[in-house]
Amino acid sequence: MTLDTLIAIILGGLVIFVAYNFYARRIDRDVIQADPRKATPATLYMDGVDFVPASRNVLYGYHFKSIAAAGPIVGAITAATIWGWLPSIIWLFLGVAFIGWASDYSAIMVSVRNEGNSISAIAHRLIAPRTRIILLTFIFFYLLLVAGAFGNLMADVLNAQPQVPLAIVALMVMGLLGGQMLYRWKMDLILVTVITVGVTLLVILLGPAGLTTQPGPTGQPVTVQGPIGQLVQGFNGALNALTGGQPVIAYYDPTHPSAQRLQPGEAAVANIQITPSFVFWLLFVCLFSYLGAALPIWRYAQPVNYIGFWITFLTIVLAFLGAALAVVLNPEVARFKLAAINPNRPDLGFSLVAGQPWQPLWPMLFVTIACGAISGWHALIGSVGTARQIENETDMLPVGGGAMFTEMALGLLSLLAVTVAGTGAGAPAFANGIGNFLSVFGLPQQYGTALGFAAFVIIVITVVQLVIRIMRVTLTEALGDRMPIFRNVHVGIILSLVLMCLLVLSGTWVYLWQLFGAANQLMASLSLLIVTVWLASTRRNPAYAGIPMLFMYVTTMAATLVIARNLWETVVIRNVGREGAAVAVGGAVAMLFVAALLFIAAAFIGWDGWQAYQRYRGRPAGEAQPAPASA
Amino acid sequence: MVAFLTSLRRWSARQGWLQALGEILYGMTGYEFARQAQHLRGEYETLLLLIVFGDMIGLPLLPSYYALRLLPYVVPDLEGWKRRVLRERHPLEKEEFDLLEM
Repeated sequence: MTLDTLIAIILGGLVIFVAYNFYARRIDRDVIQADPRKATPATLYMDGVDFVPASRNVLYGYHFKSIAAAGPIVGAITAATIWGWLPSIIWLFLGVAFIGWASDYSAIMVSVRNEGNSISAIAHRLIAPRTRIILLTFIFFYLLLVAGAFGNLMADVLNAQPQVPLAIVALMVMGLLGGQMLYRWKMDLILVTVITVGVTLLVILLGPAGLTTQPGPTGQPVTVQGPIGQLVQGFNGALNALTGGQPVIAYYDPTHPSAQRLQPGEAAVANIQITPSFVFWLLFVCLFSYLGAALPIWRYAQPVNYIGFWITFLTIVLAFLGAALAVVLNPEVARFKLAAINPNRPDLGFSLVAGQPWQPLWPMLFVTIACGAISGWHALIGSVGTARQIENETDMLPVGGGAMFTEMALGLLSLLAVTVAGTGAGAPAFANGIGNFLSVFGLPQQYGTALGFAAFVIIVITVVQLVIRIMRVTLTEALGDRMPIFRNVHVGIILSLVLMCLLVLSGTWVYLWQLFGAANQLMASLSLLIVTVWLASTRRNPAYAGIPMLFMYVTTMAATLVIARNLWETVVIRNVGREGAAVAVGGAVAMLFVAALLFIAAAFIGWDGWQAYQRYRGRPAGEAQPAPASA
Repeated sequence: MVAFLTSLRRWSARQGWLQALGEILYGMTGYEFARQAQHLRGEYETLLLLIVFGDMIGLPLLPSYYALRLLPYVVPDLEGWKRRVLRERHPLEKEEFDLLEM
């Protein structure tokens, strides 16, 4: 079975059209009964700082930018590689149509109807006080997992793609310059944008300049880097020569493609080799994140994020246009080259083989593609930021639901990019696919691929720096009173970076990503649980939130158990006692503890939520009272 | 379908497609700088009111004479300021979360 990109885009558009107009709007009109005459917290309080009414269009752009990042990109790429494009595209479409929009929209709606309070504050009042503490625990480990997953990705791409690092250095320099120009020299935003984004784009395109493909000694085509690529390659080579070409750490990763060829009874050999150059680029990611976490937000993190947005926005929009027009301009580009169902998993991964990774379609697909279909993080961000800027209740659906549907489009583009790439996997497949789409407009493949790599690295690395910043803040808040050393900014940052590096060096990236997805989706189901309880407390039909909540709750709890099984059987048992594998075993054990913690925490919230639901179903109630203010 | 297209036509005539696209792009780009400026102004305002009118929330920092002289100028902002300072905070409200995307 095959498709082409235009048909996939049309199908995606149809799903959005039907789901938004015939399902989402019905819920907004008949269940929630959004009232344009009702005052929202933004118009009621209007303090010019937190509660500021904004127009629907501005808020849609702001909310979409707040939620759209690397999640839908990395998830779609990973799922397509494991199961094929068909199950991935079905989950993207059905997930966002029935669950994703409902989660984002409902979180904003519940906050608007409860004086602008956050989801966790509402949970404290409606369900149980410990719900808030459990949610905060979820947030911390969620941040740790995403830092590990993304940090690993970044170090890998920077190490393996020599034309990319200089672009990131340019981004850092332009970010510092941009902050200085805007806030100290008071320059015009448009001028600052043109200078900083222009220079960064120029350096991105310089990376692959001079890159050629020549026949190698064996007759196979070999890529020969241009001057900048050769410089970075030489640097990497010099670093690796420090250990005589030997890896610093080597261990067996059961999810590595080479592990698929392992015969039953055959001894597992180390297939992951951490080289000195990989460690260097990991430290580079740490430096990038350190600056983002330590410097004032206006000095570095904000301008870097701003410049990165423009690079990514231009690349994504042009790639989307290219994907749509490829059918007419260059049909070979539009043709799907990835299998609909992975031929290595014709049973969709349901067969369980002792000692082998188990990747059943259910529940693992639903935690591998996280943000593109549904995400708990969106609900949290929407309830503390966007909800306090809603000007009119009828804006809640286009802003919250609309942004989530658009996020699905981003996930769809990533899936299409990987599906048409033809070669490679993961980030290289994504970049090649973007390069293919941009080549439709006449841009040479190598430059389009460089833009694809740059957009991918930028979108991920800007998330990592902010995650480290928030981990530092969270550590200070949680431990600063009892251990004053944590009030020191640098101590918190260094500890967060050390934890990230430990997760990166543990090696089993697929399990790390899926555990992050499980934490994210569990937060989504908990957010839907809070919405369900609120709907019951206000005597509204809770089905549109309750049924997705049950599905996500059961699915993510099951996924957590599957990940724990995989970690134990395929990493701990296989690597224990193996030379150089102590870090991998330690990392897997740490991830097992995190998985157990998340499972137990989710069980508590599920039990408390069930009791609260029964409580509200049994008695009539008016609108929920606001949470008490406290200094 | 007819009703939807009619409302779409009326909406686009009222809004203007270009204006809507411009507002969406502004929301993705410059709006965060405006929000940052609003937060910064709010912090300066909070600091000033805390120093001058801190006794209203239990911090006796300045003699009442000066507070009374400045009172007429700050009366419009007092309620909003008190709500902002005394409101229950969520960890996700810190500025570090402003730019976080997942």
